[in-house]
Amino acid sequence: MILRIPYIFFACVFAAGHAFGAASPAERFRVGEKVVPLLDNYCVSCHEEGTTKGEVRLDNLESLSLDARLDLLNRVQEQLHIGEMPPKKKKQPTEAERNLLAEWVAKELRAHGASKLEDKLRMPEYGNVVDHEKLFSGKYVGLPGFTPDRRWLISEFIFEAKFNQLLDFVGQRNIDGKRQQVIGDNNRNGINLTNPFLLPTHSGVRYYDTAMLDGGHLLTMITNAKEVSAFMIARAKKVKTYVPAIEALMAAEWAHEKILADRESYLTANIESLLRELFKEKNEGLLPVFVATKREPLQNAIGPDGKVLKNSVFAIAASNMPREDMAQIYSAIQKNSLNGDKDDALILKCEKDWFYFGVNERAIQSRVKFMRGYMEGLLKAMPKSEPGRAPKAPAESEMAIIRAAILKHRKAGDRYNSILEKCMADWTGEFRQERLKAGGPGDVATGNLVEQLFTKLIERAPTSQEKTEYAALTKSYLQKLGTEKTIEKLIQTLILRTDFVYRQEFGEGTADVHGRKMLPPRAASYALAYALTDSSPDKELAAAAASGKLNTREDYRREVERMLKNRSQHYVIDEAVERIGLNDSFTNLPIRKLRFFREFFGYPGLLPIFKDNKRFGGNYTDASARLVSEADMLVAHILEQDKNIFEKLLTTEEFFVCHTGDNAAMTTATALIRKIYDYFKDKDWKSFDAEKLKVHIPFLKENPMPGLNLDAIGKVGGRSDQVKIFQGMMTDYTLRLGNRTTVTAPFSSVFGVPSPAKTRTGRDMRGSEAAKSFNLDMANWNYPATQPAKMENRKGILTHPAWLIAFAGNTATDPIRRGKWVREKLLAGTIPDVPVTVDAVIPEDHHKTLRQRLEAKTQDEYCWKCHERMNPLGVTFEMYDDFGRFRTEESLEHPDNLVKKMPDKGSPQADLRDIYKTLPVDAKGHLAGTGDPKLDGDLKDVIDLAGRLAKSTKVRQSIIRHAFRYFMGRNEVISDSKTLMDADQAYVQSGGSFDAVIVSLLTSDSFIYRKAATN
Amino acid sequence: MKTRRDFLKSTVLGAGALSLTPYFNAFGAAPAASGFPKRFVFIRKSNGERPLEVALPTFSAKDKALDEKKQPLEVDLRGHELPVWLRALDKHKANLGILQGLSCMMSENGHYSYSSIMGAYKSNRNSLSGIKRATIDFELAKLFPSPFGHVELSLTGDYSKYRTGIVSGYSASGPHQRNYCYADPQTAFNELFRAVTNPGAVDSDNAMLSFLENDESFKERILQGYEKQKLSSHITSIEAIQARNLKLSKMAGSIARHIPKLGKIHADGGLNASSPEKQDAMTDILIAALITGLTNVVTYTIDELSTPVRGLPGNEADRISIHAIGHNESYGGVPADKIRENIRIGHMQQVARIVERLKAEPEGKGTMFDNTMIMYFPEGGETHHGHGTEAPFVILAGNNCKLNLAGRYIRLPFHATEGHKTIGNWYTTLLNAHGNPIKHYGDLDLEMARKKLDQAGAIRQFIA
Repeated sequence: MILRIPYIFFACVFAAGHAFGAASPAERFRVGEKVVPLLDNYCVSCHEEGTTKGEVRLDNLESLSLDARLDLLNRVQEQLHIGEMPPKKKKQPTEAERNLLAEWVAKELRAHGASKLEDKLRMPEYGNVVDHEKLFSGKYVGLPGFTPDRRWLISEFIFEAKFNQLLDFVGQRNIDGKRQQVIGDNNRNGINLTNPFLLPTHSGVRYYDTAMLDGGHLLTMITNAKEVSAFMIARAKKVKTYVPAIEALMAAEWAHEKILADRESYLTANIESLLRELFKEKNEGLLPVFVATKREPLQNAIGPDGKVLKNSVFAIAASNMPREDMAQIYSAIQKNSLNGDKDDALILKCEKDWFYFGVNERAIQSRVKFMRGYMEGLLKAMPKSEPGRAPKAPAESEMAIIRAAILKHRKAGDRYNSILEKCMADWTGEFRQERLKAGGPGDVATGNLVEQLFTKLIERAPTSQEKTEYAALTKSYLQKLGTEKTIEKLIQTLILRTDFVYRQEFGEGTADVHGRKMLPPRAASYALAYALTDSSPDKELAAAAASGKLNTREDYRREVERMLKNRSQHYVIDEAVERIGLNDSFTNLPIRKLRFFREFFGYPGLLPIFKDNKRFGGNYTDASARLVSEADMLVAHILEQDKNIFEKLLTTEEFFVCHTGDNAAMTTATALIRKIYDYFKDKDWKSFDAEKLKVHIPFLKENPMPGLNLDAIGKVGGRSDQVKIFQGMMTDYTLRLGNRTTVTAPFSSVFGVPSPAKTRTGRDMRGSEAAKSFNLDMANWNYPATQPAKMENRKGILTHPAWLIAFAGNTATDPIRRGKWVREKLLAGTIPDVPVTVDAVIPEDHHKTLRQRLEAKTQDEYCWKCHERMNPLGVTFEMYDDFGRFRTEESLEHPDNLVKKMPDKGSPQADLRDIYKTLPVDAKGHLAGTGDPKLDGDLKDVIDLAGRLAKSTKVRQSIIRHAFRYFMGRNEVISDSKTLMDADQAYVQSGGSFDAVIVSLLTSDSFIYRKAATN
Repeated sequence: MKTRRDFLKSTVLGAGALSLTPYFNAFGAAPAASGFPKRFVFIRKSNGERPLEVALPTFSAKDKALDEKKQPLEVDLRGHELPVWLRALDKHKANLGILQGLSCMMSENGHYSYSSIMGAYKSNRNSLSGIKRATIDFELAKLFPSPFGHVELSLTGDYSKYRTGIVSGYSASGPHQRNYCYADPQTAFNELFRAVTNPGAVDSDNAMLSFLENDESFKERILQGYEKQKLSSHITSIEAIQARNLKLSKMAGSIARHIPKLGKIHADGGLNASSPEKQDAMTDILIAALITGLTNVVTYTIDELSTPVRGLPGNEADRISIHAIGHNESYGGVPADKIRENIRIGHMQQVARIVERLKAEPEGKGTMFDNTMIMYFPEGGETHHGHGTEAPFVILAGNNCKLNLAGRYIRLPFHATEGHKTIGNWYTTLLNAHGNPIKHYGDLDLEMARKKLDQAGAIRQFIA
């Protein structure tokens, strides 16, 4: 076969006037003579008219427009680079031939600035493109490792920590009975910020240095900056040390505000007596004419059946009243009931007071109506405390001003608030004039402001040039905006700088022979801090940077090891887990160490997957968050041991299920249930009445039954009937312990009754039905109080229901995604994107298993060349359903296959799943690509797969590669070979310590050195 | 020569993070192909909307039976009376569509829906990570860009008082992105009409952006390669916002002509304003925002369970809790059902004002209403504790709206039966009809999936 076109040269014509457009005969290119036979020999036979494999034709380049040709060449370049073409079964070019072809394509693309490969290779999904064997071959350890100089956009986590620190917000949790400060609680009061720096949601490494701030980010940050600037000024007013320069600039204004507030407060409390004092006998005549609000008769509503409908009880009605109104009602009652007035007379007096004070008419109406309807409740609920002390009388000079203002402004018919407003407006104007006369802030004050705001926001002092520029900017703002708005604007300006939203990592000092420079100490301290946490450097790290103790590899090692050992700081792992199931989600491991495995495995991906309670057979929503929480606990537990981490994560047979992580608390709680059950089981508790139950109070005092109030036995009916609660609990205990079960999980299955054990933060334990995903029969499960404990048919985190659900669909398993995950994350493999021409949907057929349908869809050669890398791995997970339950039969869920309809509601112990026809599960698969013939081969199931993966060197190295990306924020390149091999060896030699891997990575050349980018 | 913008367009950089660019792209002023943009108003109400209360009182016996049995049904509104609470729309029957039978099971969250109802997903008790995608209003805003892109208003509270200022909203511009909203009329007024009410603030914003542009441009000049691109992107973003501000300043004349007069009662958050007063003021602002072209999409949470209702006709002096009436508590001698009806009557008066005002505003050969769609719907399905099997929509659509449902009462097949439609189908219909060819918007209904019923795509019968 002869390549037809090159012999007559490509006559592609280039765009005239712009880069992508119609071809022009003026610009021609030709394929070099050496390249023509290569295309002919290796490409065209499959990619020409009639055999356009992959919808690609290479024989008609001459007729393509320039943009189409460049697009095609980009595809060629990518295929060549990742070694996908020619296909493995076809004749392969030599390395020299491949290089020649690649150079030709690159040259052509470069000529038009159109190569996308370089950019793509920075993206996470192209991380595995660098040849694994080359990286770990040892041939390239001599290449000097470095990271290019860079700005790295802050992550969603850094954003939150940064603003929490800036705004002095400290989250807290009560952990194991002790109040602890936590990082990661972002429920800030009093300020509404939007986090624009969200990370992508895929599994694996999510935080890369490739992200750039765009218009959406900036727009959101402008809104955030406005909120923050107002908040900071308020904070500076409250806390003198916050930003003293703000206080200094605002001192006069705030002093005036204080005087005004004192006058207002004094006047509000004393205006009535002051008016009497100043206007004496004329006072009454100057008051407005009081008109009481109309009193409509109070009545209850009548329902359609003629029955009287209930009104809100006092507590509810009071909670609907504004707090200010309630306070005023109580205060007025207190004042006006002193001489014994009650009911209507009392209400009228209160109303009159409010009228004279100028309270809004509607507010008066609703207060009066409320008092008429709920006087009894009000009197009962009157605050016991004495009324607040009346504001102290101001000094005589102040009193003189106040009196003069009242005399000046009071007019006949004025209500008190009107007099007050006029006085306040007068004084406010006077003070403003006074400040204007005093002139604006001087250079020193503005200089201090710039310096302190830089330190607060950018976390460093300004350079002298910045000082000058920002002082000038401040002055320009002052001319137009006034002091407070100027400060706000300056804060906003700093927040919108690139060095607020980007981490700065530029090498400084003398370059070594390879042109590399070390990070300067301050930048290094941030790089290290953000490697392990989301926060700025802690005190020790900042001190090390400031005192010249962050200049060497050993300095880095010292700080990293120190931070890794730190267990004094607690972090919220995931606010969604806390919220959905009201579970605990915290750790005291350095948060980014735990987060690496969380994101690498991707099991939190369970949370947004919407699943059907009916198919689950119970309450899935609460169970879902528990599953993620317990997967986190498992990972943290293994990390805490820091031995053979990867192997344990991949093969552990011990899991947390319905557990808080506190073995002692679980043991105590389960023993309590057992004791209560044993005590009552042979008694006739089903027929107990209050008197009979009271007989057992001494026992129940010693062994308190959750939810049972001994003092209320026989006193309250309905839902709070204690006998019913007791019997409900005993029924539940009997259901769970009446079999051969000896220990039952410390949950309450009765609605409204608290669990016998609390979580470590003191919440009720919820989501007990997570046990169902482990195939545990909740009515017959010997609960292991000490966990993690062995669970049947599980091996490693990939068989944890959280992972299995995260890599499943809404209604079915997903062998392709599961296989893809194993191939890419553990076997360092690559899988091309789904071609746009492929309809990637598994056809429905309710007579077949999902595996059978998948095989029918992907078996042809075109599909199989990619699917063979995923399916043989993914199908081994078919031994679990899409809720992570082990199975030997696959339920063919289709109305035609329904065998038995089960109830839609029931106790947590019930399995509410409808029963369908089934077919046997086939979980056999095949492992290829470990590079180890002892491991590659046919697989029995995923348990078999997990065992082999844990033994694979390549798997270990693949995890190390991901750890590299996580801590460096970029893909590895061949010059990182030494860094990777060192980290791998650190793991091996330390007996599988992940801390050793982190130390190795963060002290590597790749981390320490930076090199300027060039064109 | 490529401009900075062209260059950024041609690069794949930045794709590593969830980019907010699509959201930002809603800020523009490109008119739709027809020359006039389409406008959408979403009005969210709380406490459910009971399907029987939406039914027509003059149904024939046969239609009444079908409606009560939740069987499919289509009735021409001409010749029928509307339920009492919908009477404010009597004059607009030709533009009115009452859509019954849509389900929203995939967005049910108990009392509150948060972002769910407009995103067709479960928001997991309002956690950020529960926000799965841009809500339908933001998707539509991208199709019809405007200087503000999207405006969200709300009248919500903490049971005893209204929220004020700029607070968390319910819409979402993208995954994990909670929008903000204007919670009181005065704040909405100040922020939306700033070009007229506070040109000094706009000037100072521009001065700040100009300083930043110069500062970052200086840094950009000394960088090369990839890092240069990051700064270029930053500067381009600054420039884009400056351009938007400029556009807003140029609109000052038009804004000044249409700016509503806001009563003093709304000052400082409007502590003493009654619910009808707040609603009136918000409606004025909403109308002005549409007429001036500041936005083409408004989402308005007219109430939620914790909104304190005050000054409701018939209960003028009562402080009503919507949550409490959801539990059948009465106030001031008025039964809960009647209060619920009175609240809806108030809502419909607002809807009618929007319709009438837009019908009075010329646009092309017709009026602005011709290109407008208003949807009034419950955030939580059919009752106070909704199940999500039904979420009645009251829809008003102008003559140029690309949907075929006006002038009719339509009941679709009931949930989880053949032919049933979800809010996902409804939103897909809106998107498909207006240029977004998405196959299906939103999460699928799991009971439909379990029963293997077809449920993806637009509601074909509505696409004109």
